[in-house]
Amino acid sequence: MAGNDLVLTGVTKRFGGLVAVDDLSFSVKEGQIYGIIGPNGAGKTTAFNCITGIYRSEEGSVKWRGEEIRGLTPYQIVDRGIVRTFQTIRLFSEMSVAENIMSGRHIKSSQSWWHGIFPTPGSRRDEKENWLRVQEQLEFFDLQDYATTPTGSLSYGMQRRVEMARAMAVEPTLLILDEPAAGLNDKETCELLQTIYKIRDKGVTVLLIEHDMDMVMEMTDYLSVINFGRKIAEGTPAEVQANPAVIEAYLGSEDDDE
Amino acid sequence: MKNLNVFGYPLFIVFMAALPLGLDARWQEVAISFLVFSVVALSQDIVLGKCGIFNMGQALFFGMGAYCTAILNNEYGWSLLSTIPVAILIPALFGILLAGPIMHLRGDYLLVTTIGFNIVFVQAVQNNLGGVTGGPNGIFGLDSLSLFGHEFTDQVAVYYFAFAVMLLTLWIMRNLEHSKAGRALHYLRLDPLAAESIGINTRLYKIFAFGLGAGIAGLAGTVFVAQFTAVSPEGFGFMQSVLFFSIVIVGGSSVPGIFLGVFVMFVLPEVFSPLATWRYFIFGFAMIAAMILRPRGIWPAKFGNIPKFLIKESNHGG
Repeated sequence: MAGNDLVLTGVTKRFGGLVAVDDLSFSVKEGQIYGIIGPNGAGKTTAFNCITGIYRSEEGSVKWRGEEIRGLTPYQIVDRGIVRTFQTIRLFSEMSVAENIMSGRHIKSSQSWWHGIFPTPGSRRDEKENWLRVQEQLEFFDLQDYATTPTGSLSYGMQRRVEMARAMAVEPTLLILDEPAAGLNDKETCELLQTIYKIRDKGVTVLLIEHDMDMVMEMTDYLSVINFGRKIAEGTPAEVQANPAVIEAYLGSEDDDE
Repeated sequence: MKNLNVFGYPLFIVFMAALPLGLDARWQEVAISFLVFSVVALSQDIVLGKCGIFNMGQALFFGMGAYCTAILNNEYGWSLLSTIPVAILIPALFGILLAGPIMHLRGDYLLVTTIGFNIVFVQAVQNNLGGVTGGPNGIFGLDSLSLFGHEFTDQVAVYYFAFAVMLLTLWIMRNLEHSKAGRALHYLRLDPLAAESIGINTRLYKIFAFGLGAGIAGLAGTVFVAQFTAVSPEGFGFMQSVLFFSIVIVGGSSVPGIFLGVFVMFVLPEVFSPLATWRYFIFGFAMIAAMILRPRGIWPAKFGNIPKFLIKESNHGG
């Protein structure tokens, strides 16, 4: 098993009587762009929440670099190099773009809590250092002109970019994107695609949920299809497209037409 | 914002430094109270304004600091200034201990818990806890301020002590805004889930804010004792906590807003003292009007605290 792999085995998450994720297993290999697709309510976001520590799955294991991360808190998981974005954008909307991206530097900063009370020359240097990293992200995502703009007043597409910039400021090994193209127009989707390729070229593994089938088929190396919390198919985009179970889940089976 | 930093604060500080020269004894007393309550309100701002913890028991830590100073002076003969480390550390430790088990509670539930703490504290000192708190009458006849054996009986000395404490508090508030810890408080207030998902240990930083706020309030307690050379339980009750809470909300959780709030709540009533009890009637309505007309406070806090090199000529708004 290679270094930076994410392996889910038999992950099950229940809410009362409802089984949201049912015995889900898949593995994401280092350097892949891995896609998860499935109809609405299939349990994709729940699966992401189980990986990132927002939920704790009742059964199964989530292994990252060979370490069990199920049961860790979200910030502990971020500390291990896994960062996510949200389907419904969650930015600190009253704060400026630069401050939002700076939040991603939190875990990389060498300051202790008491530096907030008594700064030292070292903590001031660290502060400057991290703002320079923020500047790099602003440039990478072409947001330099918006550094001081409150994120709440930006367009939807821009907010998506800020959220990705914030996640990238953590310098993650695995970036998890929850429907990054939702609400974007064609031009923005096209730009997003280029950005994701650029992120992958930096050596970051990308795991994403997406509804835009054209986009998923074009960009992912490998994907899993989930329906009713279960994995119904996996493979390369070409394999999955030819899979009858997938066609049935998305288009309904032939019997339904009668 | 810029004008405030370049002109506003220096002007305010120079004005406050020169203020006792132009006041008679009664108004000097009011000015000292203004400084002491400002420090407590600023400490409440760290907890409520920055971190979003609905703490309605800040008077507890203010009182705990005051009682630490009073007891050490009364029972063990420590000079008032030498009690400062204890008056900061004991409330801060208590703050951390109390915050630990309640930080996971949601706003309204946590608020009720902190009210409970405040009531327990007042009851404990009223019932002469350990035989050292003096019961309902409190502790009186304490020493006045002294430094290296020299005693300051003039209340101008107390004013400058209070002024120094306020400057220290402002300095800490400023440091917070330019640090990882201070920003973490803003992030976790605005969106706890997003903050947690970007790597912030929200629980740790909430407890940090609570402890820091308690420590600063405790220090204000020492100044309170220096002013009155006495303490009694009623100065630190639930009503006081409500006032500090309201000041942060009405003021808008910015430093100027809080000074304005303290001025309105504690100084204006003195100005209008001929109106007797009617003055509180007016302030009740003023508070209601302020919240309806300016729901985010009279002087809302501003963001955009970023280094100059990130700000481009062509910046869009902000």
